[in-house]
Amino acid sequence: MLKKHRNIFSYSFDCLKRYRMRSIAIIVTFLVATTMISAVLFAKDGLEREAEYSVSVAPDLTVQYLKAGRVAQIPVTYADNISRVEGVDRVLLRTWGYVGIGTNTYTVIGLDPSGLNYSGIAASSLESGRFLNADDSGAGNVVVGQLIAGILDVTAGDDMILLSESVDAKRFHIVGVFSDKESIYTADMIVMSLEDANEFFKMDEGMVTDLCVYVNEGLVPQDVAAKMSAMPNVRILDQDLLLRGYKAAYAAKGGIFTTLWTIVLVAVALIAFSQAIVVGHESKFEVGLLKTFGFSTLDVIEVRLIESLTLGFFATSLGMLFGFAYAAIFNAPGLVDILLGWAFLPSEFRLPVVVSFESVFSIYAVTIIPLLITTVVPAWLNAITDPELAMRRAAT
Amino acid sequence: MIEARNITKIYNRGKFNETAAVVDISLKIKDKTIVALTGPSGCGKTTMLSMLSLILTPSSGEILYDGDGVLRASDFWKTVFRRNNFGFVFQHINLLPQYTALENVLLPIYASDEDPAQYKERATMMLDELGIADRAGHLVEQLSGGEQQRVAFVRALIKNPRYIFADEPTVFVDEETSKIIYRTLTRLRDEGRTVVISTHDVELMKLSDDTFRMCKGRRA
Repeated sequence: MLKKHRNIFSYSFDCLKRYRMRSIAIIVTFLVATTMISAVLFAKDGLEREAEYSVSVAPDLTVQYLKAGRVAQIPVTYADNISRVEGVDRVLLRTWGYVGIGTNTYTVIGLDPSGLNYSGIAASSLESGRFLNADDSGAGNVVVGQLIAGILDVTAGDDMILLSESVDAKRFHIVGVFSDKESIYTADMIVMSLEDANEFFKMDEGMVTDLCVYVNEGLVPQDVAAKMSAMPNVRILDQDLLLRGYKAAYAAKGGIFTTLWTIVLVAVALIAFSQAIVVGHESKFEVGLLKTFGFSTLDVIEVRLIESLTLGFFATSLGMLFGFAYAAIFNAPGLVDILLGWAFLPSEFRLPVVVSFESVFSIYAVTIIPLLITTVVPAWLNAITDPELAMRRAAT
Repeated sequence: MIEARNITKIYNRGKFNETAAVVDISLKIKDKTIVALTGPSGCGKTTMLSMLSLILTPSSGEILYDGDGVLRASDFWKTVFRRNNFGFVFQHINLLPQYTALENVLLPIYASDEDPAQYKERATMMLDELGIADRAGHLVEQLSGGEQQRVAFVRALIKNPRYIFADEPTVFVDEETSKIIYRTLTRLRDEGRTVVISTHDVELMKLSDDTFRMCKGRRA
């Protein structure tokens, strides 16, 4: 019995070599499709990882002020009120916004340097220079993301000029550069003291953009948030809410492409199916002949399964490799702008790429299962037909 | 012994192009004989041969091998029965074009528990007996029609089957190949195999032990 399976294996691999054009056609088709779908899924995984990282370094709760249903500046006095809520460990003032340099837009974050070690920013490593400290308050010192440093060709020790909305130019001194090359979180970030940010954005006296709230260890942030919700005009964002928001944005972008490429794959599968049924005279004839000589229906299915699995795994694995290279090495030209469309990131940004088990499994599933169906089902249909009829139909 | 009882085959039953290829034929084929199915083109010889060799299911009737009805047996049983007992030679030769002559000969072995490599020597010897040993490594498409038919004969005999079914084995071959085929069939019968052929060839009819003439799907 084992020898027979060895014979069937041998015959199947032989078929792959002999029906070269058929094998190459399947490999090329699936290679193109899986390369694209892999690039999208791996990039989506990378973006989701970034989302998780960004949220993990975010404060337990972010408090914003709402006016007429829109986010407005929040009075710093709210920080005192919130500090008194049971379970709140610390409240940091934060002013943040966007600044344009050339055609690109970057994120400016102003924090009290004395509280910096509380924020997740301090968890990011530096390529050069140092973080801000208490002495930097109002001193015009900044730490910038490596993406910015690369584009502006600056490093720690250099100066940079930022232009505010009121077209006031202000010179800043770079004291440090973040090192995380592929992190969206720090890539476009300019961190400065709260005092500098308030002055740069011309915030009203006693106002910031939001408050970062850290709760006592062991407490559930949502429980603390519930106690704060009685405060008027506030919106409280917890990490789960932020993560859902980020993931929805990434998944929606990735999802569109996944859907598109799934459609492509289904189309490919349909073509393969119609070919196998209508065009596959050669295959029909072969099945009829094999049945005549004593290959059972199961043997015929085994032959086609081995062929399909071999081709499918080879083409899909190679496609994934190409997809990874396309996204990770070549930065997915043509896709990166769409995938990062939600972010104000310049094209120099390297797309984060992560290969997850779920994505690899999904890619194998959407490629190999249709291939198996489109080859095994027609083979089975032929194999349960009288061999003479199968060969006769193949000849007509 | 092979026995056919009231065999009928109707193609496309119930459709506008319904065709009764074989109608109510009964016959008995003794062991160790050459039996010829004869008749004009389109009389149902090939259909009858295909049904006797279990590669086509009759619309009605029964086929018995050594007294046992086989048509109600499972597809798997019939496949194994063919594998262990039958050798086939087709009118259109039916070799796999991407394979060499030797590889085509060894094809039936792949369905068994035996190692195809062990049959190489036997296959080469048989190809030599039919005068085409030097063509063993050639692709089928590089062989002449006569050479291809000889390869088909060796393929049919490689597993030393008890029954050989040959559909118009001499129709597309030259005189020399025809003679080789006559000799081979006679030798097979003498060695104790049962040979069933469909043919127009008068020489083949002459060397047959029994002849069944058909006309318009019926026994004439």
